[in-house]
Order: sequence, then C-alpha cells, then structure tokens
Amino acid sequence: MVEQLSPLEPVFRPGSHGNFVDGVGVTLSEIAPGSIVQLAAWPGEEKKLMATIGSVTGLKLADGAGTGASSERYTAFGFAPGKFLVSDASEGLATAFAGKVTAAIGTITDLSHGRTAIRIGGPKSEWVLAKLFAVDFALAAFPQGSGISTTHHDVFTQIQRSGPDSFDLYVFRSFARSFWKMLCHASDEVGYEVR
Amino acid sequence: MLITCPYCGPRDVSEFAYQGDGNRTRPDPASTDPEAWNAYVYDRLNPAGLHNEIWQHAGGCRAHLAVVRDTLTHEISSVRFAREHGAPAHGRRKPGAKA
Amino acid sequence: MSPRRTPSGGRIDRLRTIRFIFDGTAYTGHQGDTLASALLANGVSLFGRSFKYHRPRGVLTAGVDEPNALVTVLRGEVREPNIPATMVEIHDGLTAVSQNRFPSLAYDVSAINQLGGKFISAGFYYKTFMGPLIGPLKGTRFWMLCEKIIRRAAGLGRAGHAPDPSRYERMNAFCDVLVVGSGPAGLAAALEAAQSGARVILAELDPCFGGSANWSGEKIDGEPAATWASDVVGELKAHGNVRLLKRTTVWGYYDGNTLAAIERVGDHKDAPARGAPRHRHWTIRAKSVVLATGAFERPLVFPGNDRPGVMMASAAMRYANQYGVLPGEKIAVLANNDSAYRAAVALAKAGARIVAIADLRPDVSAACRKLATEAGAELLTGHAVIGTEGGKKLSGVKLAPFSAASGVSKGNARDIGADCLVVSGGWSPTIHLASQAGARPLWSDDLQAFLPPEAGKGWIGAGAFNGTFSTAEAISEGFAAGRKAAGQPALETTTLPDVEPAPLDPNPAPVFEIKAKGKAFVDFQHDVTADDVRLAHLEGFVSVEHLKRYTTLGMATDQGKGSNVPGLAIMAEALGKPIPEVGTTRFRPPYAPVSVGALAAERFGDLKPDRLTPMHDWHLENGATMYSAGLWFRPMIYGGPGETIEQAYVREAGATRETAGIVDVSTLGKIAVQGPDAAEFLDRVYSNVFSTLPVGKARYGLMLREDGLVFDDGTTWRLGEHDFLMTTTTANAGKVMQHLEYFLDVVWPDLKVHLTSVTDQWAGAAIGGPRAREILASCVTGTRVDNEALPFMGIVHGEIAGAPVMICRLSFSGEMAFEVYSGAGHGTHVWEALIEAGKPFGMVPYGLEALGTMRIEKGHVTGAEIDGRTSARDLHLGWMLSKKKPFIGSAMMDREGLSASGRLELVGLISLDNRPLSGGAHIVEEVDTANPHGSLGHITAACFSPALGKYIALALVSGGKARHGKRAHVSDPLRNRFGPVEIVSHHFFDPEGKRMHG
Repeated sequence: MVEQLSPLEPVFRPGSHGNFVDGVGVTLSEIAPGSIVQLAAWPGEEKKLMATIGSVTGLKLADGAGTGASSERYTAFGFAPGKFLVSDASEGLATAFAGKVTAAIGTITDLSHGRTAIRIGGPKSEWVLAKLFAVDFALAAFPQGSGISTTHHDVFTQIQRSGPDSFDLYVFRSFARSFWKMLCHASDEVGYEVR
Repeated sequence: MLITCPYCGPRDVSEFAYQGDGNRTRPDPASTDPEAWNAYVYDRLNPAGLHNEIWQHAGGCRAHLAVVRDTLTHEISSVRFAREHGAPAHGRRKPGAKA
Repeated sequence: MSPRRTPSGGRIDRLRTIRFIFDGTAYTGHQGDTLASALLANGVSLFGRSFKYHRPRGVLTAGVDEPNALVTVLRGEVREPNIPATMVEIHDGLTAVSQNRFPSLAYDVSAINQLGGKFISAGFYYKTFMGPLIGPLKGTRFWMLCEKIIRRAAGLGRAGHAPDPSRYERMNAFCDVLVVGSGPAGLAAALEAAQSGARVILAELDPCFGGSANWSGEKIDGEPAATWASDVVGELKAHGNVRLLKRTTVWGYYDGNTLAAIERVGDHKDAPARGAPRHRHWTIRAKSVVLATGAFERPLVFPGNDRPGVMMASAAMRYANQYGVLPGEKIAVLANNDSAYRAAVALAKAGARIVAIADLRPDVSAACRKLATEAGAELLTGHAVIGTEGGKKLSGVKLAPFSAASGVSKGNARDIGADCLVVSGGWSPTIHLASQAGARPLWSDDLQAFLPPEAGKGWIGAGAFNGTFSTAEAISEGFAAGRKAAGQPALETTTLPDVEPAPLDPNPAPVFEIKAKGKAFVDFQHDVTADDVRLAHLEGFVSVEHLKRYTTLGMATDQGKGSNVPGLAIMAEALGKPIPEVGTTRFRPPYAPVSVGALAAERFGDLKPDRLTPMHDWHLENGATMYSAGLWFRPMIYGGPGETIEQAYVREAGATRETAGIVDVSTLGKIAVQGPDAAEFLDRVYSNVFSTLPVGKARYGLMLREDGLVFDDGTTWRLGEHDFLMTTTTANAGKVMQHLEYFLDVVWPDLKVHLTSVTDQWAGAAIGGPRAREILASCVTGTRVDNEALPFMGIVHGEIAGAPVMICRLSFSGEMAFEVYSGAGHGTHVWEALIEAGKPFGMVPYGLEALGTMRIEKGHVTGAEIDGRTSARDLHLGWMLSKKKPFIGSAMMDREGLSASGRLELVGLISLDNRPLSGGAHIVEEVDTANPHGSLGHITAACFSPALGKYIALALVSGGKARHGKRAHVSDPLRNRFGPVEIVSHHFFDPEGKRMHG
C-alpha cells in the first residue's frame, strides 16, 4: 500500500522551538491515523449508530452532545447532531463499518485523506488554543474525551480533548500546513517541541 | 454576541452565518402562483423587536437554527434546531400578510 | 538627585536607574516611573503644543485621561503617535518625542496661531471651507489649497511609514466574573467572587494593581492602603481560578457580555520576550461583569487653565505619593470640593509649599479648615483663579473674590507666585463601559455628575464608579458586587472596613466655569474653549450631539474624559436648562485608543489561512507561477525561461490539443451526497434529472437560485445507489454547500440525506488531449480505459503506481479527457506517475491560464458568466431545464423579465484588429471615443486562442445569437482600447465535440 504524504512535510521541523528556555509549554505532533471516517445517523437512529461504533471500536459513548471516548487504537467523538468522527490507528475503518452502519441507520464517509490530525499537549495547550479559537477549553467546560467543532478564521476544526492537557485537532488537509504554521507561531511564546 | 447552539453551547457570533428571515414559508414546489413565490423570495419582515431568524452554525456543527432575536437589543430569547421546529418560535406570519 | 524628586517615599524602585531620551535629551528615572513622572522629576514642565493654537502644554493628569502630554514613542523606524506620557512606562532605551511643534517644542512658529485665535473658533472649518466658491479665500477649493498646510499645522502626532515588526496576538477568554478596575472596590469584588469559587478575571489598565490605594495615603484595617492592596493581590494569586491582567485596558463592552481588552505585554520592556506579542487583544466572554472603574477628577474652566504647571489635584497627589515627584515647589490650589484638601496635605508632606487654597465655595467645613492648616496654606474661601501667569511655565496665579452663585469674580485681583496650580472641579464616575452596554446615565445633583443607573443585565457597579467616594463603602460595595456577580446571595449584615482618615464630603459646589477675560479651555486636547461652546449655541446648535460635532468637543483621542461634563454644563447654562435636560452623549468603544495591530493580529502574510492542493510542492518545484484563487493557490502557468504569460499558456494549451496536458483540479468543490433520498434531493436542487443516472456514471448538472437565475454548475457522479459525489466550481464550493444544507435543514427536513465536504479527501488530476487515453492506459492497472469500459461520462476504479484511483471520463478542455481522483495523501504519488507516463508522449502540465483558454475556445461558462444576473437561457443552457419536475428556481425562471428579448446572451467574439481583448470591455455598434455610449454588453473572459490563432473572448451581448456573424466594436475607455470584433457562436472550437467523444 502506498503511504500517505503528510501535507505538513516541508514545515514539520522536529525539535524545540520558540521560547523554550524555561521548558516547553506545548508539544506538537501529527497523529496520522491510518483511517478517519465520519459516521452520521438519521434522526432517531443515533443510539444504534453509537452502539455500532461501540461494537467495532470497543468505545463506549455516553449520551449527550460532543460525547467521546478513545483507546490506544481508536478515537470517536460527536461533533454535530447525530454525527461522529471516528479514527483508527490502522487503515480500513470505512470497510469495517460498511454493512454495519446500514442505510436505515445512517451513512459512512471516508475522510482518511481529507483530514489532518494534529495533537497539542502540555501545560500551555489551553493557552495556545485559546489564541486560535473562541472556545472555552477549561476542563470543566470541555471534558476529557469530548469533542467539538469550531473555526479559526476559515479553518474548520474538529477538536477532541485527548487528555487533561492534550487535544487532537482535525483540520481540512488543504488548510493543514497553514494551520500548522499558525499553531507553531502561537506556541512560540511558551516554547514548543515538535515530535 | 453569543448564540447558544443547542448542540455546541454558547459560541461567538463569528461562528454563525445569518441565513435570513425565518418567517418565510416555501410554496408548494408544484405551485406556479407568482404572488406566493414572489412573497417567499423577496418579501422580508423587518420588525423592530422580536424577530424569527434562521442562522447556521457554519463554523461549528453546521446545523441551521431557528433563532428569536430582539432587533432592538440583540437579545436572543430562543434558539432551536430549524429542522426539528418547522414553525418559528415567535409565531408565524399570517398567510397573505404583507411584510 | 533630580530637582523635583522627593528624598523618600513613592512606589518606585530608587535603586534601579533607567535611562531614556525625550526630544533628543537623555534623562534618568526609576523603575516604576511613567514618562510623565520621570520628566516632571527632571524639572520638565513643557510636554507638547496644543492642537489648534499651538499653546504650550504640560501634564494635566497622571492617567489614561491625559489630554495634553501626548508624545510619539519611537521604536526603531516605527513611530507610535499620540500616547499619553502618563501611560508610558519608562525603560532603558525608551525614546519619545513631543508633538505638533516645529521646529522645536520650545520655539514653535505656529504658536502665532494663538494671536489669531478668533479665526479658528468653533466651526472654523465648516464656515471657511465648505460650500461654493464665493470669495477668494472661501469654499471647498480653498480647502484643497490649504489642506496640506493646515494638516501640518493642526493635529497631533505623525504616523510613520515603516512596517511594524512587532507581534500582535488575539486571545479568547471565558469567565464567570470579569472585574474591571483593581482599586479597593475591584480588589474586594475579585476576592469575594474568587472565594465563592467563580472563575475570575481582574483587569487593571495600570502597571500595578491597587488603583487609588497606591496613592491615597489611606490606611485600611490599620495597614497602609497599598499594603492592603498587595495583600489582596497575593490572596488572589493563590486562587487557581483567577487570572490577573495588568496593563490591560477593557475598551469595549459588546452584546452578550462580550468585552474587548488590550494588554500591553511588551511596551514597558526594552525588547519583547521571544515569541511574546507587543499587545495582546483579549475577547472576554463573562457571565457577569463588575465595573469598578473609578472616577476622573474634572478640570475647572478658567482663563489660562492650560498653562504648563496647572494640574489636577489628585494627579499631583499621585505624583507625590506614588512616584515621589513634586509637580512644583510653590503650589496653589483651586477647588470646588473637599477632595483637593487631601492633595494639599499630601503635597505639603512631600515637601512642597502650599501657597494658597482658593475655594470657590463661600465657606468650607471645619475638616477642610483643619486640613488647610495642616498643609500650611492660606485658605481663601469664595475665591477663584481668574488668570495664570508665565510663558511656557506657570509663574503665578491671579486670585479674586468669586461668587459661586453668579459664576463671576468681583473685587480686586491679587497675584500670588506659584509654579504649580492644582485644580479640582469635582469627580465624574468612569461610566464609559456601562454606557457602551446601553445604560442611560442619571444626573446626580449632589455629586454634580452622571452616575450609572441601577446595575444592568450583565454588570454590577462598585465604588467610585457608582459615585461612592468613601473607600470603606467602596470596599463594602466591592464585596457585595463580587458576591452577586458570582451568583451568591447577599449577606444580611455587612461591616465596613476600618479606613483612615474619615471620608470628606464628596459633593462639590455646582461651579464648572470661572468667567473672566482670556481663553478658558474646556477640551484641552481639541483646543475647545468655553467661548466656542457659547458660540455654537449662538449659532443654533442646541442638541448636545450637534454641539459635540460642531465644536469637536470630546472627540479627541481622550474622548472627552475630563471635558464632557464641563462642556455640558456650559451648554446647559447657555440654553438656560438644567444639565440633565441637555443630556449627555453616549460613550462608544474604544474607551482608550487601541492599536490596529492588535485588532488585525495574526491574519496577514504567512499567517493567513491558505489552501494548498496535494500537489502544491510539485507545482512549485516544477516552475509554476502560483495564482491565488480565493484561499486556494493554483498554478497559473509553468513558464519556461524568458517566456511571457501569454507565450506560456499558448504553448501549454497548444500542446494539450496537440498531444496531451495535465492539470491539477483538486480545488473543485466536492460534496458527498449520501442517503436513501440522495437522488430525490439532487432532482430538487439541480435543474436536470439525476435520479435516472446509473451507478458508475456522471452527469453535468445546473443549479438555479430560488429567483430563477443560474447559481452553479458541475458534474455529479453516482458512486452507489445512495452515494453521489457532487462537484462544484472552486469559487462556489462553500456557497453551494450552505445552500444545500439550508434546504435539507429548513425546507426538506424529512429527506434522508447527509452532506459532507470531501473536497480535501481527493486529489484530482485532469488529463486531456488526443494521446490522453494512451497515457492513462499505460499506467492504470485493474481497469481498462477504452471506449467500451470507460465511455463518455463513465466512471471506473483502478490503481496507478499502487494507489487506488477513481477515473471519470469527462472534459472541460474539449479534448478526450479523464479526471483521475486519488486519495489526497496519494495525490503527488499518482500525479508523478501520470507525468512519468506522459513523458514519451510529450504531455505538458498546464495551469489556470491554459485551462481558461481552452474553456473559452469551447464556450464553457464559469463564474465570469454565472454572475448572478444570467439565466440558463442567457447562457444557452435552456436544454438543462427539466420540464418533468419542479426544482429550485423552476417557479421563478420563466418570469417576464427573465424571458424578455434583448437580455444579454452568451456569444463569442473574435478580435478583427488582431489585438488582445480584455474582460469588462463594452461591446458597442459604433465607436465613439469622445463620448462612449450605447453598450450592447460586455466581455466576460478573453484570451489568445492557439487553436484559432486569434484573440477571442466570451461576452454577454444583447440580442445574442441574432448577432452571430455581425460586426461590432469593443469600447474600453479605461484602457483606451477600441476596435472591431466579429460576434460569433461561443462554441469556437470543435462545436460538435468530436474530439472529446473520440
């Protein structure tokens, strides 16, 4: 199988950057999951879809807007009514759901190439993200595992809180390089490490 | 200004796109009544006070929302999913009433 | 020791000496000094020249309300004008210059304007420069003559031209309680809110928290107020839920409790920390706001009240107590209220001689008398200052008996030598933010000031903002406001903190002006005098809003912080009405000037969002000149050495028609339309039918708007029974998506259809030309691409160089062509394989210019023709309007106006003089270069056609087809291009489509 080429490639510079004299405030990395799919349920079929996500990935999704969960291999979160973004470290997630998410439940859209996944972690994650998004990143307002969709200027972004101080950001591939540059710029002040 | 999206919670107005007067009713697609179509396409209410509006959370969940906003104070008194609530919250315009 | 620095005291770090430069002279100051306090300490009294009259001006205040001491701060090549010296913190290397003087501050040639003061009175500009040319020195044309001279002579600082290398940044914050102002009331509010668990942001515009506690000299609960304040700040810091923002001005209060603030992160430093911005712009969404913004002391209006050395009493006290600086050695006091007595005592304690206290009131309280004695001052009640002496520096004041009732002085004047006159005309609560939030201020006769009304929907006031001038009560109000803002119930009993000394009577005498001979300034920054206000009244300006605009009172960068109320009072007197009936103007954002850089922040240059196709780097490496199309970057040409743009695209288009070419089409909008009702949905949104489209085939579709005009076009591919891939034009992708989502959500919520933007999922390469099929066949595996397996508009799946691809045979160029879609991450891989496969055939990559050329040759429409005014029939696409079903726009498309004769229709044009045509040029029957008229329409797109060997264009022309074969002319007066053209069919090349059908 042919490897995917990262859109970040020419601007991805591993190492420490910015004002890191007092340690790095954030760590930036590309997650590059093997596959990303969007699953969308018809109104009233959300529970069935969530159960199907559970059966394929083992992730238990609670009720409610923006519900999400993750494991070593999979992540899943709601980002819009009845809609979920699911990722798998391996390829073939769309195939895994094919036949399970039936036409009666909803639809599967493969976005493995269409979205670039970037992780920001570290004590200054919330501070850096607050520069880009008009969203409350405090743990109480944005609990671990949950997801949102938001926008930085024209860059539509889906964000899942992957840890107490780490977030996974899914951006359109065409915007990814531009977004990465903005993220690095915003991280300059606190010192950041790319890895 | 903040709009409280029923899915995403309170978000900055910059994430939303105004999608027009929420009082309009689209005529039957098969209808060829020019009056009805003209009213739907061109007539808009422009009240000083409560107004039914459609907004899209374009920079978020992308749902269209039926919003009741006071045009004098910008106060938003109700936000609901447009798809779940065909009728606007703030009473529908009477058929045939001019804008 | 500098001449005016007190030997001890103040909240400056005397161990740290800082060197800075003002107007070319090197000075020193201490850590904690502002430029104003440091210059005062050095004995500098002249800070600038005034706006209109070039009068010498000193420092009037110690804060953000400063109207006089405006300076330009220089940072390298960058000039930042109009910064109050009172707001500039000194740091090593600070360089500032004074403003509005030529050639120097001390010897300013325009100061002669003072002598001709009458000529520049209220409405001078309107009267002199507006309207018709009547006399030789009047009217608009006279203005144009004088503008340059006046703009140089009048005005404030000069902006620079050098690009600003500083970083600016925007930040978003959310909190339960935002406290604006960190004086005793604000600190109390923040502490109480934080202790009840609320998320708190405390914003203070000064470099240190504490507000008046830093200079009031009071004791709170037995401790010096400044110590009390720093203790509270220490407690706040210990709370995990508090963000303390100093040097942060909250400047805007917007709907939904969204507040804007600017944090001056780096202005006080020699060099910013790495990656740190100079200014950080905060957008704060607060559930509740506590306004503890304090109050401004008001100047009094009297002749010569602008002479350097005249200063607000509280400012003088602040210089003495906070900065350890004496504004003068022999200080006179002029007051209409008690607060100035405290200032007198503080200045005396700091070492100044208080030569006299002139109080406008006929009598004062025993407390005041005691304080006057304590200050060692002669107390003159019922006295006023009716004039000031000195040139660029105060040398004495003229005192005379004064009647507060009549506002006039009478009796013999007396001269007293003084190098400083401190003034207090009462206090105006800083209600700007509440006013922005929609609160209508209420006039208080007691305080002679506008107070905020009852707490608003999202805010609560505390302290001097409310007109509460006792520190103990302010703290108590702060605690209560903090509790309320955090959603806690009010305490039943409250105990006031112990504050010493006891508060004085806060109510001033209702006197704003001392009428005597000479220029008495109301608005110092805009040089508006009391006579100007009266003149405006005489000329019929009776509304306060008109007064403001006519005299420009309160319209300078200080927004009339000190001048509004005195101006209103003088206007009210002229009108014979009480002040509340005259009303006040509403405050608008920004409360204080905001750097544009902070507003623009990070959306310029390398930081603006760009969209790149998967093959972007390949294009750059292979000589493409990129073109920005919306947010996208696309190759315009792949120019060879020395090639012009036209040569390059003619070569690229020619080679494509000759052998083959390849173009990146990844930017086309792509929308996955999925679900059991997808076909039905497409039938409703497209003008033609899609439900009959078999799986594995594509169809060209046309969308109309509800009003019947054309909206967008593109091909839609049926990938499965319930699975379509819609393509849109690059420019319209977002709009089409929104349009479709609107109909699904609002109009047809019953349809089971999901829409997803998959533009970025796919890399698209269109390969076309007579050899395209051979090239494709040589590199595709897993499928055949011959006519049988892949007919026109057919879709097949296969692999190229190991990557899965989806190929659709469709053509924009008019050649035998294929769109090869692969996963975006495989885009470059597949593209390179196609390039490699094309090499033996001489295939070329081509850019947007060649793409445009070939589409013009074929007469395909794009955004230039789908301009929101054209109908399907105008574009000869009437055949796509289904009669079998209703669709969006079908009800409106046959309206009279849309089927009228004479509408502009799509035609082709051939240049008959063999010169290029350009878009936007008009088409006329007869050329009239002197008086261009009679437009039949206009050119939408033009190029040189390698296939025809001619300059051609598409145009929208009235009459359309009926004019085929006729001659007309282009008329393009803007570019001076006139010449003959032939109107022809828009299908210039291969009208039967033989080439693409093969």
